Amino acid sequence: MAMLSFPHIAYLIPLLPLLGFLINGLGRNHLSHRAIAWICSGVMALAFAASGWVFWNLPAGAPTILTAFDFIRVGVLNIPFAFQLDALSALFLLIITGIGFLIHVYSSAYMHEESASQYGRYFAYLNLFVFSMLLLVMGANFVILFIGWEGVGLCSYLLIGFWFRNPAYAQAANKAFVMNRVGDLAFLIAIFWLIARTGSVNFIDLPMALGTVGQSAKLSAMDITGITILLFIGATGKSAQIPLYTWLPDAMAGPTPVSALIHAATMVTAGIYMIARSNLLYTAAPLVLTIVAVIGLATALLAATIALRQNDIKKVLAYSTVSQLGFMFLALGSGAYVAAVFHVMTHAFFKALLFLGSGSVIHALGGEQDIRKMGGLKKSLPITYWTFLIGCLAIAGIFPFSGFFSKDAILLSAFLKSPVFYAIALFTALLTAFYMFRLFILTFGGSFRGMEEQRHHLHESPLAMTLPLMLLAVLSVVVGWIGIPEVLMHGGDRLAEFLSAVIPVASGHEVSHATEYMLMGLSSGLVLLSIYVAWSRYKQYRSEESESSLTRFLDNKWYVDEAYQAAIVQPLHRLAGWIRSFFEPRILDGAVQGVGRVVRYLSQQIRFLQSGQTGNYALWMVIGIVLILSIQFFIRK
Amino acid sequence: MNLLLLAAFWGVLMMFLSVLGISRSRIRLVAQWGMGLLFLSTAAEMQGFVLYDLNAPEMLRVDRYALVLLAILSGCGFLYFLLSATDMAKVGSDYSEYFALIFFVFCGFVLVLSFTSLLMLFLGIEIVTIPLYILTGADKRNLKSNEASLKYFLLGAFSTGLMLMGITMVYGARGSFSSMELVGASGIPTQLLLGGLFLMLFSMAFKVSVAPFHFWTPDVYDGAPTVFTSFMATLVKVAAFAGFFRLFDHAFTSLTPAWQVWAGVLSVCTLMIGNITAVFQQSVKRLLAYSSIAQAGFMMLGIYGLGGVAKEGMVLYAASYSLATIGIFAVLTRMQDYTLEGFNGLAKERPWVAASLTIFLLSLAGIPLTAGFLAKFYMLQAAVEAKYGLAVVIVSVLMAAVSVYYYFRILQAMYFRERSEEVSFPVFSSGFVRVLMLLAALILVMGVQPGWLLRYLYF
Repeated sequence: MAMLSFPHIAYLIPLLPLLGFLINGLGRNHLSHRAIAWICSGVMALAFAASGWVFWNLPAGAPTILTAFDFIRVGVLNIPFAFQLDALSALFLLIITGIGFLIHVYSSAYMHEESASQYGRYFAYLNLFVFSMLLLVMGANFVILFIGWEGVGLCSYLLIGFWFRNPAYAQAANKAFVMNRVGDLAFLIAIFWLIARTGSVNFIDLPMALGTVGQSAKLSAMDITGITILLFIGATGKSAQIPLYTWLPDAMAGPTPVSALIHAATMVTAGIYMIARSNLLYTAAPLVLTIVAVIGLATALLAATIALRQNDIKKVLAYSTVSQLGFMFLALGSGAYVAAVFHVMTHAFFKALLFLGSGSVIHALGGEQDIRKMGGLKKSLPITYWTFLIGCLAIAGIFPFSGFFSKDAILLSAFLKSPVFYAIALFTALLTAFYMFRLFILTFGGSFRGMEEQRHHLHESPLAMTLPLMLLAVLSVVVGWIGIPEVLMHGGDRLAEFLSAVIPVASGHEVSHATEYMLMGLSSGLVLLSIYVAWSRYKQYRSEESESSLTRFLDNKWYVDEAYQAAIVQPLHRLAGWIRSFFEPRILDGAVQGVGRVVRYLSQQIRFLQSGQTGNYALWMVIGIVLILSIQFFIRK
Repeated sequence: MNLLLLAAFWGVLMMFLSVLGISRSRIRLVAQWGMGLLFLSTAAEMQGFVLYDLNAPEMLRVDRYALVLLAILSGCGFLYFLLSATDMAKVGSDYSEYFALIFFVFCGFVLVLSFTSLLMLFLGIEIVTIPLYILTGADKRNLKSNEASLKYFLLGAFSTGLMLMGITMVYGARGSFSSMELVGASGIPTQLLLGGLFLMLFSMAFKVSVAPFHFWTPDVYDGAPTVFTSFMATLVKVAAFAGFFRLFDHAFTSLTPAWQVWAGVLSVCTLMIGNITAVFQQSVKRLLAYSSIAQAGFMMLGIYGLGGVAKEGMVLYAASYSLATIGIFAVLTRMQDYTLEGFNGLAKERPWVAASLTIFLLSLAGIPLTAGFLAKFYMLQAAVEAKYGLAVVIVSVLMAAVSVYYYFRILQAMYFRERSEEVSFPVFSSGFVRVLMLLAALILVMGVQPGWLLRYLYF
């Protein structure tokens, strides 16, 4: 059929959410709740269908480039507004639209108490968010990617601050935006650097810039190191890594489905995607890869320790995301790009599940988020209970849940990089299992510790909320089966095979099957042990009074926020104060006004040259002619 | 050549119409249609549709550069007629003749833009200027208009003398009037040739009002009827610049070391005098006269930085400057009070007119997203490559900052001041406002997509 050509369908994918954004954004004062929910979930469903179609009909081999128009054309620099469709982007498209769709459906019930115009605003932002993320993964060059990148930054700001009447929430939105901007600056510099050296920002030109196809390289080793470090700094902002991670836990100020969207389908995975996309550059910069691995590992560990002592259900999940992202960066840094993408995928499903589950809990308790005031919810929220359990098992990495396969791939890559990395990563995995089951047991186990009034209102959430939970739960189990390691099943790692066109399969040291079995066994055994410890410790609820300096340190999240405040924010405030009180009025204003005065004075004097006498004018002209000719012919010679 | 034929025909036609005694609205309509036809015929010629192929390679050659600029000139001329043709009736009784003279000026434009012989350049310049002397003095009972016309004529004669002298000296040195043969001339240039070059430089500098040859400009622009000031300050100036550019691009490239620095000096002088003097003006009409000198300084940068993107800059500058200035003058012509106070509170009562004026002023000041910004950008990019280019560019940018001051004074008057009691604003017809907004839209479109215009330069 002529109508259903590949480019048309591909263009539809980002256009549909954009359409939803426009309809809901412009018509939010006229549409009913029902219409809004149907429109934006509908466009997401269609976008998902289109993504699926593109995924199945993806031409094999070289990536498909669809150029819509010339975006920037200055001299030799030509940046097309183009989309690139290949295995990597098609995979992300499926994740984004699929999970995005479920979150939209869930939101339609979760946000139902908002007024129609607020409801419309919420869904318009949500559609715009998905649109930006689609632009990000479909872009065929760094500039289009950057447009999407900025778009998700903007939308996260708008959605985190959705309830902007609460100053703390508005503050959190600001924090997210500013921290992201810090990373964006580095990203921009990297783009400019790339343009200056190679004159192109297209992904397909990267091999040429590196000189791997018989041509001399346009990028020196210095360039590659610089560009990859700057790109990585950009990624730390968007993907919440040390030192720019503190915005993500605060981003919990937004409505819970937004957190799910940020943590699972959009936003934080952008950094991983970007680095996986530029994997050729990173492979050429081993030093930077090691930095990425170390930062990722440090973030994973730091966030996991903080999560141990958090009491807000969403904060625990937030820190667990930071920690899991750290794992992904560890994989990237170990050169295992496929493992990182695999973990993005499995994590997207179980983290969306966990967040939506926590939303269901919060919804049932009328807004309560403190796990110390929960407990015993198993009976009244059975679907939430079972699905949440599956999410916890997946994130802890229990066989055969999806997290097991992706986490195992990452641990293996860390082991190949260095046994020290492996040990720390394994320890972090144990902490993960521990804090997740602490959360689970405190929430659902034991008896209810909330108020009487809440107890009466306990109810399972409506179908629009539980259906996405059940779907995600099933997916959280099975999605890991596309990347079964070679030892367990021959030809089981279909993901690596699928991505091999984009991410070259790393040849190199292999480990023996025995070692691999041993590593798997070790991690599984220890994780089970860790869950047992958590269960035995928290099955009987007692408040954690045992204050020690270590727990206080963890309670305060390593004092990172305070350190930033003292080291960066305060000095900046002081500098700003000085500029306001001294520099601006005295020096800047003085200079500006001075220039103005001089110009006005000159203006007053020069205008007397314009005497109105024709003879004078001719005289001035002759003086000019004589002056120029005499200098030219007698002095310049 | 389409434009030359049609313009000459229409000029004669307009002369006859005045004898036949038909109504003014009919005359206006014929003139507007004629100018529209001029534009269409030029556009058609770009697509290869030529009415009459004038085979005179020794004299004229219509190349892409000439065609693009002629299209811009006739297009702007059409918009100018749409906006200001009614106002010409207020100047005097010889309504039809005014149009005839303007059509004859367009004949001159063709020669100035497509000459390959220095004689043709001279002829073109004269065909352009002589009707202008008449138009300047068109308001016969107004002493100021008479004075301006006489001044213009006297000083113009002076510059004509310089040009003829220059051409003679070049002929003496080369034995040919061709402006093409000088390209690639090797060896050491004789003093005679250099002398001729400089005299022609001065004469052209006079035509485009570059300092220190600019003194006639404020007086003549101020004295002439405002509708015709608009024509002189925009289309005529742009055409003269385009001829200036063509002359140096074709004839004097090999002599660049001799004149380039002087071109830079002249543009810096012009920028400083134009911008600094404009700061103190109270009359918007006089302010625009000085601003046109200042803009000439920027266009002069294109000659200073000849080669590179100077040609693109010239084309973009021609379009953006003409559109913006025509728009401002069209509004100014109808205002009661030409001082800055006369614009006080315009935004509240005529919001669309004020919004269009804002875009024109922003474009003249060179604010991004308008065509004026890109035009300045191209000019600066061309200039920075030249000898001492960086210093010239820095001065230019500083002077552009000064220009923001006086352009924004008009904005400030329109948006932040209250209308004074004794002033009342004219009623602008909806057609007028629509054309004004079309101008503003064109400026914005060119500010975002200059490629749509510039790609016609190369085929």
